[in-house]
This record gives sequence, C-alpha cells and structure tokens, in this order.
Amino acid sequence: MNYMPGTASLIQDIDKKHLVLLRDGRTLIGYLRSIDQFANLVLHQTVERIHVGKKYGDIPRGIFVVRGENVVLLGEIDLEKESDTPLQQVSIEEILEEQRVEQQVKQESEKLKVQALKERGLSIPRADTLDEY
Amino acid sequence: MFRYQSLEDCPLDEDEDAFQTLGEEDEDIDQFNDDTFGAGAIDDDWQEAHERLAELEDKTVTVREQEDGVGSDEMDLLGHHEENLAERLSKLVIENELEDPAIMQAVQTQPPMQQPGGLNSSIWDGSAVLRRIRGPLLTQEMPSVSVLEYALSQRPPQAREDDRDLSERALPRRSSSPVIGSPPVRAVPIGTPPKQTAVPNFNQQILCPKPVHIRAPVQQRYPAPYGERMSPNQLCNVPNSSLLGHPFPPSVTPVLTHLQRAQLLGGAQAGRMSPSQFARVSGLVGNPLASMNPKLLQGRVGQMMSPASGFRAFFGAPPPPAPPPSQQQHPPCPGSHLQNLRPQPQMFRPDTTHLHPQHRRLLFQRQQQNRSQHRSLNGSTGDRAGHRSSHQEQLRKDPYANLMLQREKDWVSKIQMMQLQSTDPYLDDFYYQNYFQKLEKVAAAEEMHGDGPKKERTKLITPQVAKLEHAYKPVQFEGSLGKLTVSSVNNPRKMIDAVVTSRSEDDETKEKQVRDKRRQTLVTIEKTYSLLLDVEDYERRYLLSLEGERPALMEERKQKICDMYDNLRGKTPGQERLSDDHFVQIMCIRKGKRMVARILPFLSTEQAADILVATARNLPFLIKKDAQDEVLPCLLRPFSLVLYHLPSGTITSLLQQLANLPQSATVPVPANLHLAAVLQNKFGLSFLYLVLSRGEELQSSHAATELMQDNQWTELMFMATQELLRIPQAALAKPMSTPSNLLSLFSRYVDQQKLNVLETKLQLVQGIR
Repeated sequence: MNYMPGTASLIQDIDKKHLVLLRDGRTLIGYLRSIDQFANLVLHQTVERIHVGKKYGDIPRGIFVVRGENVVLLGEIDLEKESDTPLQQVSIEEILEEQRVEQQVKQESEKLKVQALKERGLSIPRADTLDEY
Repeated sequence: MFRYQSLEDCPLDEDEDAFQTLGEEDEDIDQFNDDTFGAGAIDDDWQEAHERLAELEDKTVTVREQEDGVGSDEMDLLGHHEENLAERLSKLVIENELEDPAIMQAVQTQPPMQQPGGLNSSIWDGSAVLRRIRGPLLTQEMPSVSVLEYALSQRPPQAREDDRDLSERALPRRSSSPVIGSPPVRAVPIGTPPKQTAVPNFNQQILCPKPVHIRAPVQQRYPAPYGERMSPNQLCNVPNSSLLGHPFPPSVTPVLTHLQRAQLLGGAQAGRMSPSQFARVSGLVGNPLASMNPKLLQGRVGQMMSPASGFRAFFGAPPPPAPPPSQQQHPPCPGSHLQNLRPQPQMFRPDTTHLHPQHRRLLFQRQQQNRSQHRSLNGSTGDRAGHRSSHQEQLRKDPYANLMLQREKDWVSKIQMMQLQSTDPYLDDFYYQNYFQKLEKVAAAEEMHGDGPKKERTKLITPQVAKLEHAYKPVQFEGSLGKLTVSSVNNPRKMIDAVVTSRSEDDETKEKQVRDKRRQTLVTIEKTYSLLLDVEDYERRYLLSLEGERPALMEERKQKICDMYDNLRGKTPGQERLSDDHFVQIMCIRKGKRMVARILPFLSTEQAADILVATARNLPFLIKKDAQDEVLPCLLRPFSLVLYHLPSGTITSLLQQLANLPQSATVPVPANLHLAAVLQNKFGLSFLYLVLSRGEELQSSHAATELMQDNQWTELMFMATQELLRIPQAALAKPMSTPSNLLSLFSRYVDQQKLNVLETKLQLVQGIR
C-alpha cells in the first residue's frame, strides 16, 4: 500500500526496526510501533546505544515515547546488514566508563581552550540550551 | 454551638443580651436541617429515579424525532443548565451566523440527531441509545458529558455549512469548537486518534447475567440464541443491574469510561457511529462469547486482550486487514434486527468526504488491494519465495505487530492530507507543483519515444478546496456598548497601532540622502518585480480562465507591462523623461539587472530599444559598478534577442552610444575612453560584437542599404576598428561569443594588413581558437 507517494510519511515504517537520533545526542534503536501527525514515536523494545570510538554498548530501555520535535533523524535498520559492522560491542559498564572518560577528556580540552582565549582577551559565547538560536 | 439549655448556664454574664439575640437567631435557623443532613439529602433510590427519567427522556426524544422539530424547550437532562445559558446567550447575540469556529458558538439549534451512517434500525437509534447509555453516568460525571453533548448537537448545523468549514478549520472534522470556556480536562482533547478500548481484561467481565449480543460485526460470530438475547432497551439497564449484583473490580468503570464515552460521542460527531465503537460498547457490557471464544474478537477488541489469550488468537488468525471486517456481514441467524444492518456493502471508511474524489477512490482501492494482498498471501501455501513473504512472516511472528491499526494509520494519513489542502496550490507550493510538472513532462516524453510498458507511477493527488472569502464580523452583544474584542486564530487582534510617519527633516546629511535614494530604488525594484512575476504568470492564468475573462486579463497584463516600463525609466505620470538616472540606479543593483533581463522580452520593440540605448550610454559607469557582482552578462541574451528586431537607425545610434560620440563628431580623440572601457569588459565587448554583427547582417542582407550610405555608420566603424587595433591584447576582454560575420564586416573597412591584425587579435577565425 503506497501511502501518499511523493511525500515523506512514517506510516510505511511501522513495525520495523529503526535507529532514532535525538536532539540530546542519544541514539535509540527500537521497533516503531506507532506514530501521529507530529511524528511522535512509540518505540518498542528500545535499546539505547552508546558509541565511544570503535566500541558501543546497548542499554535496554523498554518502551519509549518520543516527542516528535526531539527527533533529529531516524532510519530503518536493515536486519540483514545490522550485524555487519566493524564496531565492537562491549558491556554496559565498560561503555559507560569509556563514555565518562571521553567526557572528561573533552571537558579538559574545553577548559584549556577557554583559558587560552581568556588570556588573549577573547571569549566564546556560551551555547545555551536552546541550541537552535 | 451557642445553644445552651438555659442562659443561666452561660458563664459570661456581661454580654447576656448579645447572646440572647444570638440564641434567638439560632432558634430560627435550623442548622441541622433535613435537606442537608436529613432524609431529604439521601437519594437512596437513585436507580429508580434514573429509570423514570430515562423513560421520560425516551418519550421526549421520540416526540422530538417525530415532529422533527426544533423545540428548544425540551426537558433534557443532559446539559440542561448549559442549554439554558446557551439559549439566553444566543438571544443576546446579534450576529447569528458566527463563522469563526474558534469563537464560542453561542448559537444552538436543537435538531434531531442525525442518523449515524448505515444504521437504520429504529430501535437501534443513535441518539436514543446514546442518551440512554449516558444516562447512568449523568449523576456521576456530568460536566464532561455535557460539553461534548453540547458540541455534538451542533454537528448538524455544521454539517450543513460543510463546504465553508473546511477552509477555516484546520482540525479534523471530528472536533468542534470549545464551547464555554475550555472543555474540562477530562474531555478528550481535540485531535486524539480513535482510541481502542482501554479495558484490558475481558475475561473479568464474564459476570453478566444474560449473554448480551448487540450486533455481529464479524462473520464468524455466533450470536447467542435468540431467546437469550436482550433488546437494546434492556441492554442499558443491564449495566445498572450488573453493577448492583456483581463484584465488578473497582478498576472497571460501570459501562464505559468517560474517555470511551467521549470517544463514542466523538465518533458520532464525525458523522457516523463507528461500528467498531459499538462493538466496544457491546464488548464492554459483557460478552461472554468473547471470553469464551477469543478468536472471534478480531479487530481492535481482541488485540487489547491479555497476551495469554489474545495473542494466541493472533497467532492463529491472520492479522486483520484494513478496516474492521464489518463489511463482511453474513448474518447467519434470524432476528437480525439486532445486528448491524448496513445497507451499503462498503467497508467503513474514515471520514474522507472532504478529500478529492479521486484521492478517495485511490485510497479505497489501495485498501482493497492491501486486503486482497493479505488474503492471498495468507492463503497461499507458502509457495512464494523471497523477501515479501519472509517479511510478512516476520510480521506474523512478531506478536506486537499491528499495534497501530489500519484505521489509525489512515487517520494520520488523513491529517497529513488535510495539511495539503490548499486553495491555490501554485501559491502555496510552487516548487512542488513545478517539480512534478517537470517530472511528468519527462515521463510523457519518454513514453512517447520509447514504446515500453507504461509505468504506473502513483501520483499524489492533493485535495482541492475552493477558495472562499469570509469577512470577519465581530461578535456583538445586544445592549452592550461597542464590540466584543474576541480575538482568535482566524482574526488576530491588532495589538499595536503602528503608524508610518515619513521623516521630513531638512538637514539630512548627504549620506542619509544617498541611503534613502538607494532604499527608494530598492523599493522600486521590488514593486516592479512583483509586477513581473504577475505578468509571467498570466499565461497560466489565461489557460485556467473562462472565455469571457480573457480580454480583461489581457488588458491587465498590458497595463502591468506599461507600469513596469514606467518604473524602470522612472517616469512618473505627467513628467517628461529627462534622465537616465533612475534607470542607472536600478542597474547598479544586482537584482535590478536581473530583473531588466527578465522584463525585456515583455517590452515592445521601442521600449526595449530605449533600454538598450540607455544601457549603452551609461555602460562604463555600469561596468564600474558591476565589478563586484559581474551580473551584466546575464543581459546579453535578452539584448541579442532585441537587437535582432532593431532597424538600422537604431543600430547606428547604439553604436554611437557605445562609442560615446556626440551627434556630430568633430574632433577625433586619440583614445576613446568610453569605448576602451567597453572593450575591456566582457559584457561590453560582447555587446559591441553583437551590435556590429547586427549591423553586418543588415548590410549584407540589403544590397544598397541605408547603412552603407550612412556616414555615421562608417565613421563609427572606423572608430571602432581603430580602437580595436589600438588596444593591447592583454587588456581586451574575453567575449562571451564572437559572431562569425565580424570578419566580413571588418573587411569592408580596413585593409588587408589591418584585417590580419584584427583577425589574430580578436581570434575571429575559428581555427585559431
């Protein structure tokens, strides 16, 4: 059944496995069960996947209801190609640890940068929570 | 509290009198009165009272339906008070036709409830049943019901105004305007999808005294034997009795949760009572058959059952295809008056009446296709190999599949289609229309050339809505001073009164003047551009218009073209055109140049020539200004087209302008700066070439032509060739195109030696390049 040819509609995507990228940077993988006119999504058997470098870890989350405006992009996962990845899956604890380390490193470098700029009399405008402005 | 047996007991003696009076007053007031605390307060026999009222209601409803009347003084339980208020309000309001749906609709009519689509059983009468079903719930949850009922009663007038509504309403048709204030929170928000039954456990609802079977929407349903079945009249009393007699789990609300009720009402509002909703009603009331035979509960109801029973049913049965299988009714038993008598064999469709008929048909066809697909797939013995069947199998194995029903998908689809409604698609979605037109042209061309099989490319047909003009009339109340300022989505209120005041300062600085002038030019460009877009659109409008309108359209178009030209040349009515200044200003701006290029095809030859001459006259200046933008070359093509039509006299004057010679050339200047500048610019050089080429064309076409005899032309040619020879090759610009007849042109005016020089310099011969 071809719903609305020539348009982008999520109806064809229902009951398929999707990868959803959210605005806060999280990556969710789950079966898309339901949608509505705002592209609010209901994800089933959802797993939050954290990527650090070449490793990733999955945290099972259950059912997600995502408000449409928070979705950056989403795409269907080809189940056959899903396992065909160079990335290495690790345990949750490990990936969280890796993530923490990565955050720390980033923060350190950020701090140094800000320091250097301050010494030169410059400043980076702070990115607010409203990232679209 | 202040009662004492005797005043002597009162310890305080001073305020004896005060207390005495108090006591007397107290004696008058019976604080523990009967109504509050006594027998009058206890409404123990509410069921009987309800039944009485229900009968009364029944009578009034039937009476009302018989006379088909608009009796407004009905003893209506539901929303009785609200109706009174509404009536009073409606009498106050002057304007009866409130066209703005976003504002409270104080007008209320009391039409009989429209027959829900298809159900023509007199017993199974929508309104009556609705009311009765709602009856027991009155005392419990009145506000939410009344609001919805209020809204519900307005559906018929709105249905009449259907064609008007759609242009104003952005909401799905099911909803209607909030009435008095906002609807209570518990009411279903407008725009919620059709909801499934929220009652999870059917198995618990077994305890109904008699098997109730309102209708058999499913072909496999085996209705209870006739004698055991209850009429809908009795049906409604069942919940009452069941409530009494049965230990219903407290979580299960009496008959319907308020949400479901609202759902019912919402569904009725949409124009038809959804049969599946009735199914829910029936299911809820207690369908022992359902519990006994889960397989029968196909469709929504079954899905919500607990995994234990429901999914097993699903594993067994194929996933139910598209809409509820209500269309497949084979009433196997007599007494079918209780069953759903649907005269039309069509399947239940979501409300698609507002969609384009072709789209509706397409949707319907697709649904049918899908159904047949499902059927055939399921029916096959797995002979089909490949991705399709494996996908279907996956879906079948997936116990959570189809949680979103086909109906809900259609509903979302419907909303998305509604968003595409447009009164003027070319205005709203120009690029989309153009893109698809181009695609179609390509496809048509391909089909013409290649005799391959015609590819069925499904096209999205967007619904067309007629444009309707509405003048907003503000709501006025009788006897009030002034107008009620009700602002809504459709008529936003003016919050700020901004008045444009033009500055008339005498001591404006020069910079400001310049800036203002530039701004003025920009405004002119914008205005002219709008005219241009309009004129370009006339062809399409012409095709769409009626015969009678066409002359008028042509006139308009001509007028607009004249306006454009006047704008370009800065001609105000009643003023002799004196300077090129205005035009030059426009040409200094990038957008202006592009606009001139687009306007040129529409102008008459005279006007176009005028433009060309003006350009030539000011070319060095324009070249200087164009240094950054480099947009002048865009003018070349329209210029060349114009040149093709110009007579020799104009050509000569053009060349003259390019060379910047006054009418009577006297002193030959060693170096013609004007011309030099022209030659050093790409556009200038190309333009010159074009002019020369045209001249040559004219010369060669007529044997004895004026051009040859014209001294001016010859002089100009000499000048041009002189300059061309003089200028160093490095300084010479690279022209966009070198016309082929230049060689023969030059050969008339220069000797062989110089000709050779020119040849190499200008790369006039094809081979050298």
